Amino acid sequence: MTVALEPFKASHPLTMGVELELQLVNPTDFDLSASASDMLHLLERRKFPGDVKPEMTESMIEISTDPHARHADLLAQLLHIRDTLVAAGDRLNVALCGGGTHPFQRWFDQRIFAKPRFRKLSDLYGYLAKQFTVFGQHVHIGCASADEGLYLLHALNRYLPHFIALSASSPFFQGVDTLFDSARLNSVFAFPLSGRAPFLLKWSDFEHDYFTKMEKTGVVKSMKDFYWDIRPKPEYGTIELRVCDTPLTVERAAALAAYLQALCRMLLERNEAPPSEDDYLVYNYNRFQACRFGLDGTLIHPKTNKSLSLREDILATLRGLEPHAAALGSQAAFNELHQAVASEGSHASFLRRQYAEEGGVQGMVDAAVRAFRREGAI
Amino acid sequence: MAETLQTIAGSIAWPIAIAMAWIAGEAGSRWLSLPRVSGYGIAGFFMAAAQGGFLADFSGGPVALLADFAFALILFELGYRINLRWLRINPWLGVTSAAEAVGVFAAVFMLARAFAVPLVPSLLLAALAMSTSPAAVLRVANELKSSGQVTERLLHLSALNCVWAVVVFKAIIGYGVLANAGSVFQATWNSLVVVAVSAGIGTLFGVAVPGLLRSIGGVDRNATVAFAVGVLLLTALTHAFKFSPLLAALAFGLVARHRRVILSQAQRNFGALGDLLTVLLFVFVGASVEWKQAVAGIELALAVMGVRLAVKMAATTLFARLGGITWRKGALTGLAMTPMSVFVILLLEQTRYLQLGALDQVAGIAAMVLLLEVIGPLATQRALIWAGETHHAESR
Repeated sequence: MTVALEPFKASHPLTMGVELELQLVNPTDFDLSASASDMLHLLERRKFPGDVKPEMTESMIEISTDPHARHADLLAQLLHIRDTLVAAGDRLNVALCGGGTHPFQRWFDQRIFAKPRFRKLSDLYGYLAKQFTVFGQHVHIGCASADEGLYLLHALNRYLPHFIALSASSPFFQGVDTLFDSARLNSVFAFPLSGRAPFLLKWSDFEHDYFTKMEKTGVVKSMKDFYWDIRPKPEYGTIELRVCDTPLTVERAAALAAYLQALCRMLLERNEAPPSEDDYLVYNYNRFQACRFGLDGTLIHPKTNKSLSLREDILATLRGLEPHAAALGSQAAFNELHQAVASEGSHASFLRRQYAEEGGVQGMVDAAVRAFRREGAI
Repeated sequence: MAETLQTIAGSIAWPIAIAMAWIAGEAGSRWLSLPRVSGYGIAGFFMAAAQGGFLADFSGGPVALLADFAFALILFELGYRINLRWLRINPWLGVTSAAEAVGVFAAVFMLARAFAVPLVPSLLLAALAMSTSPAAVLRVANELKSSGQVTERLLHLSALNCVWAVVVFKAIIGYGVLANAGSVFQATWNSLVVVAVSAGIGTLFGVAVPGLLRSIGGVDRNATVAFAVGVLLLTALTHAFKFSPLLAALAFGLVARHRRVILSQAQRNFGALGDLLTVLLFVFVGASVEWKQAVAGIELALAVMGVRLAVKMAATTLFARLGGITWRKGALTGLAMTPMSVFVILLLEQTRYLQLGALDQVAGIAAMVLLLEVIGPLATQRALIWAGETHHAESR
């Protein structure tokens, strides 16, 4: 039997990379459009400024950036990718947009992309696979060592709700307002291997006490089978944050990555109390608060058990991280996030406003398409 | 007593025909994987009086008006799916359309002359051959729930070539009337004015109906009934004043979409109403064909069909890569554009009052209509499946 867990490859600490799952939309009725193959064919003809891949269903496309140390470079690449995609979509009458869910698609209408792995997943998970037509942002952070990665992974537990609330952009699902700011995560939680990673801080423990045992059970074959909120990615030498909805703009996506980068820089100074298993007692509760109420949620601090307003907690964290943001050159990103938290509200509330003003779910997708192109104000 | 029976028989003939055609469509779909519309058309053909069936002559009657209404609903939906912005951004679509339409017109005209068809009928045949039947392609695409580049291009190119066909057809009718010693006034009237006024009325509806909906409020409400009522009114109006309901409905849909006053859209196919009327439409078209005429024109029909398909596929393939798709998808787009019968019959039906007797005069049309009634939708269905744009492909 081969060892499926690769060794953890060290990478440049605090570099960041972003993956975005994007929606392909028909500009006539704003329903999802099964156009991934056509888009990929057209994009293959020229050098793509990053990487572009098919996803599970034909109406989804995934892009990823190179690793970057600075927010400005990351944003520049994301903008370049965005412009390339939009131009290709225009040639094919396909619109693109962010957002964690498509507000009114019917999952049984989705076509699975013709690739053996996707077909296999579709057979295994049945309707879950199609219901998984949700769109997330993943952020990778480079780690100097595997143990550093596991430390960060667990030290971030208390900040995880920040990312859910800041990125939330999936208020509607299957045609109705779910009352959640991030309905997408409810779909993710349906998978058996979702949630938190086991509390192990040494890579050797993780490998022998957890992964090898799990592998023996036959439940998993590789790290890919875990749908954890944050998971180590040994082949890249990164940890991968997976709870974010794809925001409506690439600007917000880059800002979220910069926020995570600054948080990790602060945590690596190890001035905060180290993570412990007991931190996870409030983890699911806090995560629910962030999904359901977004920035208006209430958190329980895992160390003090005090109630905190999620909005206040993010603002305080942003303030506390300012020196790190300055050192990393991320002030622009912090300004964007500060504005969203203090005054504008999240993309979920933007979408709900569009629903009320534009009349219905189609107006909502139309607004998301314009926001992605940066044609409409957001 | 006998008279009463005859009246009763006459009044139930169409409902019975629709019921039987519907069963034929379902049966063909279940056991032969035929598109439903093919089944409706074949059933209509066999039930027509000309084939010894029970459907008596119906041209110009209320059934013809209903068929026009059914077709207008489809054209409205097609117009609603056309994105003019796309045509502007990707000029190769327009080039493809011009190439295939002009190419088919020239090729079919030369072919008809080679078969010794007189000048005006040759021109009419060439004009009709340009068009792709929006009814068949839209119904098949909706039935398969297909989406992708072949589907999108098929719908856009069909809408365009129908407009070319109507414009050229009306112009030739004008020329024909003039050549047959009609007045200059009538000739002009039949071409330019009809086209312009029809499109104008449609545009007016496209502005007024969404505006009315908005002022009534409840924008999230389904707009299906409102648009259907608009199309009904539009069909009756254009019919009464002898304009083109086809162009008017297309313009209505196109403007309604681009005005985007409201974003709620009608159900695909106009729901069950559209389904029902589609049966009637295809029965009507199938029943318009006479076996004798069909047999008489079979050689020319086969030649025209072959040339038409070849030219369309050549044009769509030639400009495929420039337009941003693979050669294969380009070729399949051309193949998918095979259907034409419904459009042709309704266009001819509308010009009946001009006493051209076009269906008899334009040799080969009857055979083409009959053959394409079955083969056309089948070609569209296969092309979309081969392009991998349907759910169908998943199970294979």
